[in-house]
Amino acid sequence: MEQLLHAPPRLTALYAAALARSAKPGRSREAGSLRLPTDRHRLDGVTAVPEKVREFQHLMRSPQTAFLPSGYLHIVAFPVAVSVLARPDFPLPLLGMIHLRNEVQHLRPVPTDARLSVVAGVENLRPHRSGTQVDVVVEVEAAGVPVWTGRSTYLAKGIQASSTLSAPSTPAEPGRDEGLPAFPTGEWSLSADTGRRYAAVSGDYNPIHLGVPSARLLGMKRPIAHGMYLASRMVAEAGPGEDAGFRWTVEFRTPVPLPSKILLSAQVDRSDSAKWHGAEVVAWDPRRRRAHFVGRLEALG
Amino acid sequence: MNSLPSEQNPTPESGAGAVGKPRAAVVIGGNRIPFARSGGSYAYSSNQDMLTAALDGLVARFGLQGDRIGEVAAGAVLKHSRDFNLTREAVLGSALAADTPAYDVQQACATGLETVIGLSNKIKLGQIESGIAGGVDSASDAPVAVSEGLRRVLLDFSRARTTSQKLAALRKLRPADLSPDAPSTAEPRTGLSMGEHQAITTARWNITRQAQDELSLASHVRMAEAYDRGFFDDLVTPFRGVSRDSNLRPDTSLSKLGSLKPVFGRNLADEATMTAGNSTPLTDGAAVVLLGSEEYARENNLPMLANVVDAEAAAVDFVHGKEGLLMAPVYAMPRLLQRNNMTFDDFDFFEIHEAFAGTVLASLAAWEDDDFCRKQLGLPGALGTVDRSKLNVNGSSLAAGHPFAATGARIVASLAKSLAEKGSGRGLISVCAAGGQGVVAILEAR
Repeated sequence: MEQLLHAPPRLTALYAAALARSAKPGRSREAGSLRLPTDRHRLDGVTAVPEKVREFQHLMRSPQTAFLPSGYLHIVAFPVAVSVLARPDFPLPLLGMIHLRNEVQHLRPVPTDARLSVVAGVENLRPHRSGTQVDVVVEVEAAGVPVWTGRSTYLAKGIQASSTLSAPSTPAEPGRDEGLPAFPTGEWSLSADTGRRYAAVSGDYNPIHLGVPSARLLGMKRPIAHGMYLASRMVAEAGPGEDAGFRWTVEFRTPVPLPSKILLSAQVDRSDSAKWHGAEVVAWDPRRRRAHFVGRLEALG
Repeated sequence: MNSLPSEQNPTPESGAGAVGKPRAAVVIGGNRIPFARSGGSYAYSSNQDMLTAALDGLVARFGLQGDRIGEVAAGAVLKHSRDFNLTREAVLGSALAADTPAYDVQQACATGLETVIGLSNKIKLGQIESGIAGGVDSASDAPVAVSEGLRRVLLDFSRARTTSQKLAALRKLRPADLSPDAPSTAEPRTGLSMGEHQAITTARWNITRQAQDELSLASHVRMAEAYDRGFFDDLVTPFRGVSRDSNLRPDTSLSKLGSLKPVFGRNLADEATMTAGNSTPLTDGAAVVLLGSEEYARENNLPMLANVVDAEAAAVDFVHGKEGLLMAPVYAMPRLLQRNNMTFDDFDFFEIHEAFAGTVLASLAAWEDDDFCRKQLGLPGALGTVDRSKLNVNGSSLAAGHPFAATGARIVASLAKSLAEKGSGRGLISVCAAGGQGVVAILEAR
């Protein structure tokens, strides 16, 4: 079923409601009781805010083109996705869920002033070694044509899905030095306000990203960078420099606490004629030599 | 469409190539103030103060008081926005004639060498008879900018017309916006500092700590000897009570250099080898070179130390690690040699700017590497070996320090003097620069 939304959901209101709910104990999380809503939410007539797009491009150090960056389309679609996660019948707690993975196909260039439709739903509830994971699937259309699709995988820690579900297929805990490149190609100095600045352009004021006090509310010692901030910078850094026609995935291994300095290696595959074929990206904590995220980008055939 | 100048005015001065060889551009002499470690003796001297002092020293040395020079070109890497006309302002504050034109150049650490090349070309073309090239940098008196947030608020505020617009602009101010932005040595596109970039190149070329410390020691020893025999007497004018480069350590030793802890490359899997002893420190200073046509030098009874023969710039794709940040001169060199039909054997002096000892040693290793020269430089084999006894014979940046834009003029003046002393031969200059750039040049004795 598709449920048509009449107005864009407000993220802060959704988070506030979720925060209030999470403070109240007693919501049953027994094994076997987890069932995903099958409704998909749809919102038509979505447009980007030009000033926010410009800010986003500054933040990601990407060129100011007349088309929406891949990471920004996630921002455009995100409130609709969160509205599904905030449904009373969604079985996992919205706040404190950890972003594990993202997969995006950016099919067509989307002009900054395009009127877009966003459809979001959840699927594929499955166990993870430390809880339960779920996919949020989002499609963005322009004039009825799909332009961008995204699949975000989130983890709810400590909540076990029913034992009738298939056994965990998640990879083992990444170890130190595992597959880290010998040399970095760059360093990102992420200041303490990185989360607040991304929140200001994305509207995603999830408390775990904002500051020490708000992160502590959710059991984190320090705030962490938005996964989509890291992913969007990765795409700006290693992407094709074109407005569409590529696919990218990112796997978040360990959170990036703020502030911090992380190293990154971006190996860009270009032919002799300078045509971009794709890129492999790894970012890591230089002191612990532990990967923060691993990404891959490739041209769509 | 404009027709070619040579078609309108086919004189030898009008261009190189078809018509004939252009006339010579001559290095007449140089002057610099001693270089000082950042935060030291020149902590309160601005770029304009230091460049003016270097110009006035040159004016005094060559009797240029009140002279109109063809053009003065200089620059600074760390430059305040108020210094948009830095060189012209320094000229106006100097003893040169007020009607001497000037322009600023910025090509990171290659700035000084690039000003020499640009003005030499104008002299060769007959556009000017004389020129002063140079550069200055202050890491102490560096521009500190307001944060991006405060800058935007201030700009919006200045554009606001009504009180409510002004208040709206001010409401956007956040406490964090009040902390200033200091300049850093990080490459804008990678975020890695220049030292970290070099640490990768140093490790890739397996340059040892020992080799780097030995190069650094040689630089200090040779520069101290050069000072002692008076080599710098007519190249350096004391400033603010300093008469020798304050970074120079005549008494340093391999054991002292070997005791220093690594400062770059500590995050790499390989052993860190780059220390404060084999890397240049942040430095303040200024240097200038007087250039002219042969006619200008003769008419004014000025010496002619060397000719500026040719130069080549190169850049490398360093952003995703395809090549090292400071390796561009390695690529410029074979192009320059080929165009002039020369090899390393044709040179008596090599001036390779010591940004880091690792930079020099990686460049030498690359030119000696058969595989690298074939694959990366498109040569039939290794470019060749630089005779170490001819390398940086009077010391270089590891000893003198490296006020970014001033280094080129320091090197050109020193090399021209070495060539004049020898009375024959050629010298090769190699300078690496931020942004993956590099410039190389040939000087020739007269």
